[in-house]
Amino acid sequence: MTVLILTSEEDVTADMVVAALHSLGTPVLRLNPADLPGKAVLSADYAHGDFTGHLSVNGHVLSMGGLRSVWVRRPGEPAAHAPEPSPWLTAETRQALYGMLYSATARWMNHPRDAERARLKPWQLRVAHLSGFAVPPTVFTTSPRLAREFTEEHKDVVVKSASGPPPEEPGTALPTTLIGADADFSAVAAGPALLQRYVPKRADIRLTCVGTQLFAARKTAEPGQVDGRYGDTGHPWQPVSVPGRIAVAVREYVVLASLAYAAFDFAEDEDGVWWFLECNQGGQFGFVELETGQPVSEAVARWLSQVPAHLRPAGRR
Amino acid sequence: MRPFTLNYACPQGPTTTVTPYSFDSARQLNVLPDGRPAVMDRELLLAAGTTTSTAGSQTHFDD
Repeated sequence: MTVLILTSEEDVTADMVVAALHSLGTPVLRLNPADLPGKAVLSADYAHGDFTGHLSVNGHVLSMGGLRSVWVRRPGEPAAHAPEPSPWLTAETRQALYGMLYSATARWMNHPRDAERARLKPWQLRVAHLSGFAVPPTVFTTSPRLAREFTEEHKDVVVKSASGPPPEEPGTALPTTLIGADADFSAVAAGPALLQRYVPKRADIRLTCVGTQLFAARKTAEPGQVDGRYGDTGHPWQPVSVPGRIAVAVREYVVLASLAYAAFDFAEDEDGVWWFLECNQGGQFGFVELETGQPVSEAVARWLSQVPAHLRPAGRR
Repeated sequence: MRPFTLNYACPQGPTTTVTPYSFDSARQLNVLPDGRPAVMDRELLLAAGTTTSTAGSQTHFDD
């Protein structure tokens, strides 16, 4: 049975998993939905009271009956590479591809339905609270008055984007940034602002969860550093053990969110408390594995290689 | 009016990455000019920055 990886050709982090799958002897098909239609070919047949489907690309063929699992890694927009791309063609191609894949009985890392919900930052904070994490006070608001009152109450406050940099402004970064007490909050009325109490940190923590396996890495922060993703502190990522209560909370979170893979970001304060910042359902792990040697890609490959429960012999489900 | 959050945007800096590897469609992974999988060269991948937590920020917000 075959593993399907949805990602771009340039994705070398996916390469790490492809190499691990090759080592395990697990068949794999790597597809960028952007290449459909065109380089890739799809066919799904519902005509005879049963469902069959096939995908092929670069000489590799996958039957839906032989689909073991799907890893949604960094897929392009369906039909993005078509000679005449359009929103309509993307919508039609999305219907064909994902409709066919949803009809198969495969394991997902992560199912797009769960991934879409898991991306929502307000929902993340709610689930983090329910899971038992320490979560900094946070407000999302379009009210300048409430934004100002939140900042007056918590003093050191950061602003961050919920969805990343604006795609219509390539080359723009939106790092988490401290805002001054004298900030002009009038523009909060023009778009929801995500404000959070700043956590003075001594380290950034990236915890990658693959199934039930946890890989945590720690990077010492510079004094006053706000966003660990930007600026080279000269400190490397190093493996760190996972505190017991954090492990329990992570497992609670991924169950509540129905995630097979998740990358958690924490700020470690001066008392050693790990403050939940966010959970990226498709977060990068390549840099962590390359710097720490933690076998994340092998864990992903092994999870994807497992036979779906409904196809295992009775007694082994 | 520009949304409040965008007042804190800044240039990302150089983003052009020259990657000395290419996709091998038969093996379904990227390979170096000598045919080895690119993932064999840890130093190169770290230098290229294509595996970092901001590598996909322009196209995917799951970093």
